[in-house]
Amino acid sequence: MSKIQEVKEKVEIGKTKLVPGLVQEALDEGSSAADILQAMVDSMGIVGEKFSSGEIFVPEMLIAAKAMAKGVDVLRPLLAGDTTNSLGTCIIGTVAGDLHDIGKNLVSMMIESAGFTMVDLGVDVPAERFVEAIKENENVTLVACSGLLTTTMPALKEAVETIKASGLDVKVIVGGAPVTPEYAAEIGADGFAPDAGSAAVKAKEMVA
Amino acid sequence: MLTVKENLKEVMTGGNPDRFVKQYEFLQMIMSVPSGRIKPQIGEEVINEWGITIRWPEGQLASFPVHDEQHVVLKDVTEWKKYVKAPSMERPEGAWDQAIADANAVDRNNKYVAAFIAPGLFEMTHYLMGMENALMSFYEEPEAMHELIEYLTEYELDYAKALVENLHPDAILHHDDWGSQISTFLSPAMFEEFFLESYKKIYGFYKANGVELIVHHSDSYAATLVPYMIEMGIDIWQGVMTTNDIPKMIKEYGGQITFMGGVHSGVIDHPEWTKEQIEAEFARACRESGKLYFIPGACQGLPVSSFPGVYEACDEAIEKMTKELF
Repeated sequence: MSKIQEVKEKVEIGKTKLVPGLVQEALDEGSSAADILQAMVDSMGIVGEKFSSGEIFVPEMLIAAKAMAKGVDVLRPLLAGDTTNSLGTCIIGTVAGDLHDIGKNLVSMMIESAGFTMVDLGVDVPAERFVEAIKENENVTLVACSGLLTTTMPALKEAVETIKASGLDVKVIVGGAPVTPEYAAEIGADGFAPDAGSAAVKAKEMVA
Repeated sequence: MLTVKENLKEVMTGGNPDRFVKQYEFLQMIMSVPSGRIKPQIGEEVINEWGITIRWPEGQLASFPVHDEQHVVLKDVTEWKKYVKAPSMERPEGAWDQAIADANAVDRNNKYVAAFIAPGLFEMTHYLMGMENALMSFYEEPEAMHELIEYLTEYELDYAKALVENLHPDAILHHDDWGSQISTFLSPAMFEEFFLESYKKIYGFYKANGVELIVHHSDSYAATLVPYMIEMGIDIWQGVMTTNDIPKMIKEYGGQITFMGGVHSGVIDHPEWTKEQIEAEFARACRESGKLYFIPGACQGLPVSSFPGVYEACDEAIEKMTKELF
């Protein structure tokens, strides 16, 4: 088995201690940093699919993402300035009045694994803050808004409307327990995902 | 007409109940127990009995543990012995008097004297170190997690001992959320490995010491954990969300466990709540799940609602369904 294939497999099963060494070995074998990164992105795509289908659970997804992050650390000096794998910047946050961060963090991790640069605004984010962040950061292609409470659904709507009203050229994806595809469409979001794995797939589609 | 307790037993044994059980009507919660829990009021931040910072911001429905770098209690689970110190079980003279008086005032023929226990073992792991760290630690540091959970179990058993000695509860309502709305947090195999034996010890202790009814709250998806719930001695799983396919679970496990819930609090318990919406939700739940092994209720973990009037409106909606279906 090639080292790059081994990297892919070990990321998928979250071997956080083995992946950095394997990435180095793959580089030593002559694989390019970009190819190794792509292998890890593909791996996380499989992880996301397995999570969405209920085959694996949050811990498995977390350690896979951690394994990838450790692999990326090895590649980072070689990738500096190389944007070929970047899908742009994604601004993410949980909307105003809502303090839930676990789901948002999982989505952030998976979207990052898909190839985006993440800017996490945290929780309880006012609608205007999303717009400010789009203006403050370079190459923002996507904004991801999370809302976990029925009572904060109006804040989700306000966030989407405010971003859209700003006229900035970004796509908006929404999600969270009470959010349905119908509600997402009703409030003017460009996309919806029911879980972190699907969010990564949808995010890629939306900026393609 | 059956008493509240008799009617519940008919529901749980597949007998002949004469009405739907109205949510928590069978439990008389004794909230005056000197639990030692330190909880914030709305707008407050406290450091609780385990050293965990808990914040309840204005406008939120519940409090949250704070897990930023500055506040998290346990940064590295392998060092849990250094940072995790169980609260003292000592109580001042007379601390139990009110709770005992409240329990004595209950007609035990009609209702179960019930003690409230929260957070549970799984919740404690993420209260102490944050959800992501806790979940990764099950993989990365399983031995330390086993040790930590054993320590938390010993504390729960000490607390259980104090409860049965002083209060003699007939029931407990024990919280531990094991999943999100759509999935369990852990795989069933991992749940079994880390939590089954501990809960068998805890719930087994209660059962061996006069507690007739174990009610476990997990307002989540957890259908795949039901066999473990049965094995650990849970009589009623409370907080059952509709994502679980309740009718299917009743068919498969009815007689071994009773399911309480079927209506999502988030759907009915909000500032613009209406009687009509509540009635529609309970009509659906009662028709779908039927009269046996099912207790209609919102998924809220205590006999309360977030917005005034909702809990009572739920009871009325259940009464309406009793008139229609019994």
